[in-house]
Amino acid sequence: MRSAFLLFRLSLKRVRMLLCVTGLLLAGFQTLRVHIAASHSANDYDQIAALLPPSVRTILGPSVTSVLSFNGIVCGGYFDLGIVIALVVLTITLATLPAVEIETGFADLILARPLRRHWLITRTIALVLFAILLMLFMIMAGTWAGMAMFAPPDASGPPARQTASLALDLGMLLLCWGGVAMAFGAACRPGVARPAASLIAFSALLLDYAQKLWPALECVGWLSPFRYFTPFELVMGDPLPVENLLVLGAITLTGFTLAYFIISHRDISR
Amino acid sequence: MPKVCWGFRGSIARWRDSQALALSNQYVLQNQEAIPYEIGRPPPSVDRASPPAISIRGLTKRYGTLTALKDLNLDIAQGESFGFLGLNGAGKTTAIRLLLDLLRPSSGKAFIFGYDCWSEGLEARARIGYLPGELGLYLDLTGLETLDFLAGLNRQPVDKRHRQELCDRLELSQRDLRRRLRQYSTGMKRKLGIIQAFQANPPLLILDEPTEGLDPLMQESFYTLLADVKRSGATIFMSSHVLTEVERVCDRIALLRKGEMVLLTTVRESRRLAPRRVRVLFSEDVSAHPELPPGHQLTEKTPRLWRLAIAGPLGPLLALLEGLPVQDMEIEEARLEDVVLRYYREGAV
Repeated sequence: MRSAFLLFRLSLKRVRMLLCVTGLLLAGFQTLRVHIAASHSANDYDQIAALLPPSVRTILGPSVTSVLSFNGIVCGGYFDLGIVIALVVLTITLATLPAVEIETGFADLILARPLRRHWLITRTIALVLFAILLMLFMIMAGTWAGMAMFAPPDASGPPARQTASLALDLGMLLLCWGGVAMAFGAACRPGVARPAASLIAFSALLLDYAQKLWPALECVGWLSPFRYFTPFELVMGDPLPVENLLVLGAITLTGFTLAYFIISHRDISR
Repeated sequence: MPKVCWGFRGSIARWRDSQALALSNQYVLQNQEAIPYEIGRPPPSVDRASPPAISIRGLTKRYGTLTALKDLNLDIAQGESFGFLGLNGAGKTTAIRLLLDLLRPSSGKAFIFGYDCWSEGLEARARIGYLPGELGLYLDLTGLETLDFLAGLNRQPVDKRHRQELCDRLELSQRDLRRRLRQYSTGMKRKLGIIQAFQANPPLLILDEPTEGLDPLMQESFYTLLADVKRSGATIFMSSHVLTEVERVCDRIALLRKGEMVLLTTVRESRRLAPRRVRVLFSEDVSAHPELPPGHQLTEKTPRLWRLAIAGPLGPLLALLEGLPVQDMEIEEARLEDVVLRYYREGAV
């Protein structure tokens, strides 16, 4: 257990700069969002909504008015496309750490000592979880700082329940991609694992958008994990669908299980 | 109903079984004359009651149709220093990685101090100090961070004084240790690799090409260190293709060729296997064609000079030279290199 903790601590130490910079950028961006939201009146939002192209309206669906409000803009940090892509990439990078350790030969030095192989995966899960929680915390901290500094007196900000739902939804989506990337990371070289996981994530994202615009694709749309990420409904005030969380959780668990299985059976060689 | 053994007792029982299996099996090597060593015989200083440091039975590793290691059988006694020789791709590193459970065998078993390398891998690896052939280090860490981290993964705490002594002997200063590894030269990284393998004072050292990248002075320090470690009772298992190094450090050698062990012998015996080179200089021209005894080969013949390669005792040659005008005679000591080359050449034919 002590060895596993040391392994976690070392990994955390090595990625601390990446996590700090990403976290600070997220917090800063979120603060800026609140500032932007506070600088517009309700009338402005209606005008922005009117300017939206039909395709964006279709994607947003009935949530368009909720998203284009002070509350919606503030909550946007949890589902902004740029942020989601950045966080998925971060998660994939961290989840493929075992592949990097095997590729560089550092795993040889670790596993030549009395340490079970599964700790490589358990450590990575802990690291991914820590990173996701830290990023969500930084978004919340950015929201809080923005609200404290820029929010108009009559604005109350997103309710705690809604924030928690959005954070949980985003966290589960990231964890899901962490599971997928970890399975690849346990099986392939980092040069294969990272692009493969990223390509799948990008394809899944495109598929999700495509099936919203083109209903004929709905028959394959269920394959995309992004389909089970429903922040617009949450912004509208709907409760978090448990079945969506279950699907994302199942993908995550399958990825983790595959990673454990692969790492315990494969040859550790470059 | 088979008797079920648990824990260490189980390991000992399994080791005994494997010993029995080894006795019932003859090692089948190519070039049959090259098995002068009594298999399983420990050096005199070793406690016979304890299991071998390394025991390998029928170890095979296949990658698809390629056999990287084929039916390796080997016992290395505690306190012994053993050299694993072979050209690149002969299977040396594969065997080492199998012992460390980094690779999974296609068939066969291996034991470290009686512990099964796979089912009791933690116990086995707790007794190993490993120096890989190619060190995979994180270049953003300092030398000290790397050593501390790797020391923390061992079961026993590392004696800081012992580590300092190692650093002093390999001339790696505290200042060097505080530098990031990206600033290290190849030799410095190698030194760090040696220190991380030796720092926990393990009873078994597995060293893969240990002096690769070390300058001659450091190689000398390393050999002295190895000699000291050996004197303290540790077992050394090293792979190398530097024959002089193996000759100097090891008690016994095994030669691998294309995944198969083709020679298992003591270094001393190996010299006996190698033909000695003899140069005979005559004071007058000698035209006679000598009838050479078995094991003698005339490699060069001029009226005043014979060069011979002699496997076996020199007595018959001296008898042959009786009555001839011998002015001078030079006998070169047999070299391990000759044995190895011979096995490789024969294999290539």
